[in-house]
Amino acid sequence: MSSQGLDCRHVRVQIGGDPHALAPEVSAHLVTCAECRRFLEETLAMDGRLRAALELPIAQFRRRAPPARRFALAASVMFALIIGGGFWLLRPQAALAGAVAEHVRHEPGSWEQNTRLPPAEVAAMLAASGVRFDTRYPVVYAMTCPFNGRHVPHLVLQTDTGPLTVMLLANERISRRREFADGDLRGVLLPAGSGAVAVLARSGAKPEGSADEIARGVSWR
Amino acid sequence: MNLSRGGNTPGAPFSRLLEMLRPDLLRFAFWLARDRAVAEDVVQETLIRAWKSREELKDPAAARPWLLTIVRREYARLFERKRLPTVDVDEVEALGDPALASDGDAGLTDLRRAIMQLPGEYREPLVLQVLGGFTTAEIAQQLGLTQPAVLTRLFRARNRLRTIYGLEPAEDAE
Repeated sequence: MSSQGLDCRHVRVQIGGDPHALAPEVSAHLVTCAECRRFLEETLAMDGRLRAALELPIAQFRRRAPPARRFALAASVMFALIIGGGFWLLRPQAALAGAVAEHVRHEPGSWEQNTRLPPAEVAAMLAASGVRFDTRYPVVYAMTCPFNGRHVPHLVLQTDTGPLTVMLLANERISRRREFADGDLRGVLLPAGSGAVAVLARSGAKPEGSADEIARGVSWR
Repeated sequence: MNLSRGGNTPGAPFSRLLEMLRPDLLRFAFWLARDRAVAEDVVQETLIRAWKSREELKDPAAARPWLLTIVRREYARLFERKRLPTVDVDEVEALGDPALASDGDAGLTDLRRAIMQLPGEYREPLVLQVLGGFTTAEIAQQLGLTQPAVLTRLFRARNRLRTIYGLEPAEDAE
């Protein structure tokens, strides 16, 4: 099939080259060609997995835990799954919640930080990510992490009830507040302006109490 | 903001920025080198070079692409200097790297192995685009290629991965 001077083969080369930035003539072709639209959908779906594949878990990358520790970790995860199983079954798990939990799980060292980072440095890092975040809690961990094809701020705040992980997701859209549980992690996803915020706690701590206040402190630039 | 000054210690904000971006640099270097020891070396060299050139970085928002570009240059420099082993040897070692494993997601592990096995001419632009966030024009500039050539390489990279993902590959470009 051909349209607007491009045939399907050339359109698919364009889609395969950069499925996120299509030329106008490619978009015009897609209006009339269902097969190329399907090719685009397939490519976009594959790209999501491709990003996930490229985002190697750095904690695993840096060093392998000793076998005894790996066993302990596996046992603790199993225990948490058994305990949290009922909760898991009762609440629908959004893909975004699962992705956030998966990401947080790959940076276990982030929970162990307890030294307050200089606010000016945190603000500079956040500014580089196009976000402003005001909070009364000390920020003890701040990284820019690849997530769903973007680079997003990943923070840990030290609160009265323990550490909370906060991910500032400028490019994620959610319609409403959603609480979730994923293994030993409990979290809340909240709409925040044009984006979203994820707040997570672990080991039985509850993020729900602080999540709304945290989300109110976020503004995108 | 001048990242090389400020705070209690001169250069502390810049150091913090480097530390924040280090995981990204390591991932990127690993996909280029397919060897974690080489990736560590490349990132170490990158951080040293970035520190020496820190006055060149005027905008913190540009830090990531700036550093990734240095990683790529340092990898190329290391490759030239040390004449790193050929692809086949790398592949054998790299495919067994535990960093590629994804707990409970065999499909992701397979995809990582498939990416590792892509020829460098396809893997590099793909990593630059998907992980690095560079546009095809920027990749073309970095690799010294035309933009259509980059698009074709990216298409071929994804086309090879389609079969791993269970999809039928498209007809190849001319």
